[in-house]
Amino acid sequence: MLSFVGVGKVFPGGPRALQSVTLHVPRGQFCVVLGPSGAGKSTLLRLVNGLVEPTAGLVRVDGVTVTRKTLAAVRPRVAMIHQQFNLSPRLSVAKNVLAGSLPAVSTARALLHLFPAGLRRKACDLVARVGLDAEHLHRRASDLSGGQQQRVGIARAFILDPAVVLADEPVASLDPNISRDILALLRQASKERGATVLCSLHQVDLAREFAERIIGVHSGEIVYDGPAADLDDATLTLIYHQTKPGSPVPAPAAIATGGRR
Amino acid sequence: MAGAPGAALGGRSTAGWELRQPYDAKIVALALLVALGLGVSAQRVEGQRFLVLTWEWGQSLVGLRESSQIGRGLARMGESLFPPQLAERTEISRIENFDPERLPWFSRIERQESREVRVNRQSLQTETHVEIKEFLVQPVGYLWRVAVKMVETLEIALWGTILAVAVSVPLAIGGARNYTPSPGVYAAARGLVSFLRAIPEMISALFLVLAYGFGPIAGILALGLHAAGFLGKFYAEDVENADRGPQEALQAIGAGKLQVLWFGVLPQVFPQYIAYTLYVLDRNVRMAIVIGIVGAGGIGQELKGRYDMFNYGHVSTILLALFVTVFLLDQVSARIRARLI
Repeated sequence: MLSFVGVGKVFPGGPRALQSVTLHVPRGQFCVVLGPSGAGKSTLLRLVNGLVEPTAGLVRVDGVTVTRKTLAAVRPRVAMIHQQFNLSPRLSVAKNVLAGSLPAVSTARALLHLFPAGLRRKACDLVARVGLDAEHLHRRASDLSGGQQQRVGIARAFILDPAVVLADEPVASLDPNISRDILALLRQASKERGATVLCSLHQVDLAREFAERIIGVHSGEIVYDGPAADLDDATLTLIYHQTKPGSPVPAPAAIATGGRR
Repeated sequence: MAGAPGAALGGRSTAGWELRQPYDAKIVALALLVALGLGVSAQRVEGQRFLVLTWEWGQSLVGLRESSQIGRGLARMGESLFPPQLAERTEISRIENFDPERLPWFSRIERQESREVRVNRQSLQTETHVEIKEFLVQPVGYLWRVAVKMVETLEIALWGTILAVAVSVPLAIGGARNYTPSPGVYAAARGLVSFLRAIPEMISALFLVLAYGFGPIAGILALGLHAAGFLGKFYAEDVENADRGPQEALQAIGAGKLQVLWFGVLPQVFPQYIAYTLYVLDRNVRMAIVIGIVGAGGIGQELKGRYDMFNYGHVSTILLALFVTVFLLDQVSARIRARLI
């Protein structure tokens, strides 16, 4: 169970990123966050693993409030998948996946690159699970295509069997077909392991296809929370309308066919 | 284009726009002032004498002049440097426990007769004495000695580099703004790095020779400490400038600072580190030769000794060995770089 209770965030000297968000995501749910750029989607996700600290309210992961003190316990249970993959480019695929297990490995072992046999086994299984082959294990991450790199990112995310997976626009830099494959993989892998997924997206059609639940964010506030089936044009207008006074509200149809693209 | 000035295409006025010349009178005056200053400075560093001597040398080269100071100097140097001394001759009477039955490899014994005219104190007649000196001649003995000294120089450079890496890695972590344990450690590490870099090897070697005596220890310390200042600065800056993405990905799952450094930063900066370290090794070999001159061991110390004793044949052998070594080193380090990066 992932809970936001009255969470607000104001960046110093910046705008109000989130205001009084209350949200509960039950275990195992695949939850997509939609919203225009700058609406606070990333901030919402980054509050869960403490990359951003709330200025009001609190975030709980399985009943544990995320604070500086609990960070060391919370973070290994919360995996993250990034838009730019954020792999170590010169490390091999296997090392990148194993790097996802660093919090469970002693510093001495990490410095010597000596990972326990169990984790090495698991890394192989995960690389196979995300659709890569044995030959990819020792290739440098930077030698792979974008889609393949994101597969490695997913394998890295699941190596410690996280309770929550945060996916911050995981397919924003991939083409539509590969995006679909990656999201399908993410959904299946999290279902198999019972992980809760909080995934921000820009593509409304993908959100409709994969989400069990959609959270619409606009200017730091939740403006929609419901099943993907109920996401109609009026709601999309609500999510994507421009806040500048005098500017026309965009035709919802234009958004529905591909969000920002 | 026809039309009133300031009235541009599309109805937009460009009246307030202006494209100025790239420099004005003030900058020209400033440039003249700098040129004047350089002119004065050139006088102080014997610029005129340099031009006169070089002009005379040029004239003598094309036959307009019988001789020139530079030509004479170069000719004298060429004569004394040639031929390079390869063999080593040792008077046998000075070799302890010499066994003629067991000569070193490739060596032979040469006898040299020398006549001396002496006055016999009893008869008060002059007499001619024939004295025979025996020498052990090793045909490439000196070349071998130079090779051994050169290896010592390479060892000094290698250990200087190892010392530099060992000292600079902790300094780089302490001196990288995003990984330093505390602002105090940061300031201390940056300060120490600047201090180490500020002292030329030659100067620290002079003092270290006083502390540790003549030989390689002073050389290794002098090279290692200076290079640690260089590497500490560049390692730290690379850590600071590394792409944040991979680091954030590992921080987000709760990896420790050192783990993030090892898996999120080091792989990124590794090629640069190899390049810096090879540069330091390369430089250390050349500097190890130079600091030998102040007594810090290796081929430089041998060079200084021979030069001071006017043994220019020996000096020439050493110089040739230096060229060959530096050339080979270039080749080897280029290969290592290509393989590791």
